Amino acid sequence: MHELALVLNVKANTLLKGLLDFRPQNILKNLSSALIFGGVAVGVFFLARGATIYLVQQAHIGQFLYHRFLSMLLYVFFVTVNLGNIIVCYATLYKSEEVTFLMGLPISHEKIFLLKFVDNFFYSSSTLTLLGLSWLLGYGSCYDMPWYFYFNAIFFVFLPFMLIAALLAVLFLMGLIRIALGIGIRWLLAGIVVLYLSAIYIYFKVTNPVQLVEEVMRYYPNVNQYFGFLDAPAVKFLPNHWVSEFLYWSVNGEPGRALPWFVILVLVLAGLVIISAVLARRYYYASWLAASDARAMQGPRAGRVWLPFMRLGERRLLPPQLDAFLKRDFWVFFRDPSQWLHLLLITVLLLVFIVSVGSLELRLAQPLLQVSAFLVVFLFNGFLVASLLLRFVFPAVSLEGDTFWCVRAAPVSLRRLYLYKLLGSLLLVLAVAEILAVTSTVLLRHDPVLVTLSAFSMAFVSVALTGLHLGAGSYFASFREKNAIRVASSQGASLTFLASMLFLAVTSVILMVPLKRYFDLLIIRGFALTDWIHVPLLLIGSLSLAVFAVSTGLGLRSIRRDF
Amino acid sequence: MIDIQHVTKRFGAFTAVDDVNLRIERGQFFGFLGPNGAGKTTTIKMLTGLYEPTKGACLIGGHDIRKEPLQAKAGFGYVPDQPFIYEKLTGREFLYFVGGLFRLPVGTTREKIAEYTEYFELGPFIDRRAEEYSQGMRQRIVLASALLHNPRVLIIDEPLIGLDPRSARLVKDTLKGMTRAGLTIFMSTHLLEIVEELCDRIAIIKDGRIIYEQSQSAAHSFDGQLESIFLEVTK
Repeated sequence: MHELALVLNVKANTLLKGLLDFRPQNILKNLSSALIFGGVAVGVFFLARGATIYLVQQAHIGQFLYHRFLSMLLYVFFVTVNLGNIIVCYATLYKSEEVTFLMGLPISHEKIFLLKFVDNFFYSSSTLTLLGLSWLLGYGSCYDMPWYFYFNAIFFVFLPFMLIAALLAVLFLMGLIRIALGIGIRWLLAGIVVLYLSAIYIYFKVTNPVQLVEEVMRYYPNVNQYFGFLDAPAVKFLPNHWVSEFLYWSVNGEPGRALPWFVILVLVLAGLVIISAVLARRYYYASWLAASDARAMQGPRAGRVWLPFMRLGERRLLPPQLDAFLKRDFWVFFRDPSQWLHLLLITVLLLVFIVSVGSLELRLAQPLLQVSAFLVVFLFNGFLVASLLLRFVFPAVSLEGDTFWCVRAAPVSLRRLYLYKLLGSLLLVLAVAEILAVTSTVLLRHDPVLVTLSAFSMAFVSVALTGLHLGAGSYFASFREKNAIRVASSQGASLTFLASMLFLAVTSVILMVPLKRYFDLLIIRGFALTDWIHVPLLLIGSLSLAVFAVSTGLGLRSIRRDF
Repeated sequence: MIDIQHVTKRFGAFTAVDDVNLRIERGQFFGFLGPNGAGKTTTIKMLTGLYEPTKGACLIGGHDIRKEPLQAKAGFGYVPDQPFIYEKLTGREFLYFVGGLFRLPVGTTREKIAEYTEYFELGPFIDRRAEEYSQGMRQRIVLASALLHNPRVLIIDEPLIGLDPRSARLVKDTLKGMTRAGLTIFMSTHLLEIVEELCDRIAIIKDGRIIYEQSQSAAHSFDGQLESIFLEVTK
């Protein structure tokens, strides 16, 4: 393991050098990272506490049902970690130049595999790990659990759970690489997306949350009994179930019944590590060669004949420079499967969200619940827009890449290039955001005032978040990184995303009080006032413009930096 | 044509280029030499607007690259040491893209592409995506892109790295022909025999400072002595 320790040492040193760099700019960057990550961790801690106290003590759903909900959340979390690792690991384990370098050294393939696996895990799952740990601490604090519960839960339950998801992802990809040779990487990626969507659908079909709630509630008020007989047999083989069972028995004061689940998780992880090492020894090098061959044997591929007006060299649609940028971005985007497949996936998720909102029955009697319903949908719309921006707008400057030299050395105004990126992104994001805002609010409640409020608020939010993501993307630009997904999962990207979550939280707070007054009057007194709408809109608009202006200033300054 | 006026570039406490002062006249072929890390690429990056000088100014065709970047950039073509091009575009698409950046009419770009496709023997691969290109193919595409807009100045950083003998000959012949036609060339290289063969004038940079300057003409030729001069002044 000497070589492995050596490489890990180099990586740790690089990380430490970054942290111990005491230049003012770096201190500011690290401090703002700590503040934002810390702020979000504290937020998740209190959210976990609030949700647990509300569901168990106020809504009285019972410990069993609560832990089954946790299990469902953990399943989605597991799939997210798994998918995150599988998406990033092709770049980390197969396309990375470091792997090419290491393959030329006398280091065994399973060691390279394990090294890059650790690299991949930290790169793709560190933010999720932070969120998961904050949730665990918040959850545990509701039950006044002792210190050793946290120790065991973090190191022997939560981390194994995450690592199982990540290990399965890389093993899965290693197998799929061989299939990819036969069917091509595009179809393979499309297949993976379909497979993951099916996995989530089948899980919720099998667990059937609505039926579970109905069956447990038949026993009300004795809902604190253990209803394990209601679990579908297949669910017992899933790691999320093991974690939720460990938590259930731990908080119910029966560590003896929690122990088996704890042991299963640790044993499965140990088994998976051994299996991974064996499989990596046998197949990693072969799959790495196969991936290299697949890249080298892509065959002649000329420019497509479809959409002739978008071809470079055809009649220009816009002024020459703008036309060149537009057409370049179009082809570079649509010739990269990881780009258009992600767009496809997000489009499917948006459609699922809209259909789900349509099936909600939220014409509730209590004003506070109405406010909550409106804000939850508003926040989710904002979250979707922020995700879209993080994935496609944040990397926009970085994706100029090594080839940025030809733009920088040409008579192109960088200000114009930046504004082209900004306006192009803003138009697309505004279109998506407005469709989401108007459709979801109309489906939730046919109320012209709320639709107007939602449409304008979301427009302001889109302006602010687009400016923020492009500006921060320019500030944190990494021209050496070719993979957009890795750019969108970098530390700078996580910071930007968390900052946009803070922005959304502030806008929700601004909306909360006037909305409450509106619903109070509408539901209790039977009439609605419309003039109140200007105040929150003015506040959100001013805040959004301020965020937009500051971010755009930062972005414009950053894009002119030395290349 | 190229005027580098007391240019300094500092990265924190490290001075990469220290008070470099050079003037290259129209039609001159200037060779910029120096050991690794001497400041050649940094000087070129300041000259092309990729780095901002800490002190001093770079003028091309009378235009300061910092104050009038668009006018200055319109007048030169640049070939970097690493010929990165968009992996997902074909060579032809890349050339059209560069034509757009220089605001060339589509028809003119098409004619130029046809001309350079033949001249640089790009035909077999120009319609394939750049991700399939070798170093030599990329180098030829980048050279074609730098000449597309008929620049008055050509700035080249290590033009022959990774080229096979045939491609290298092609590039050398192109550069020779271009200077005869009045093009000013600023070339950084390690290959001393190329400098002896092509350049009218040279400067050697070491630790960021110009330590040697000399012109070569029919009356005064390096005549195989450049290697010993280089080794002597850079030791």
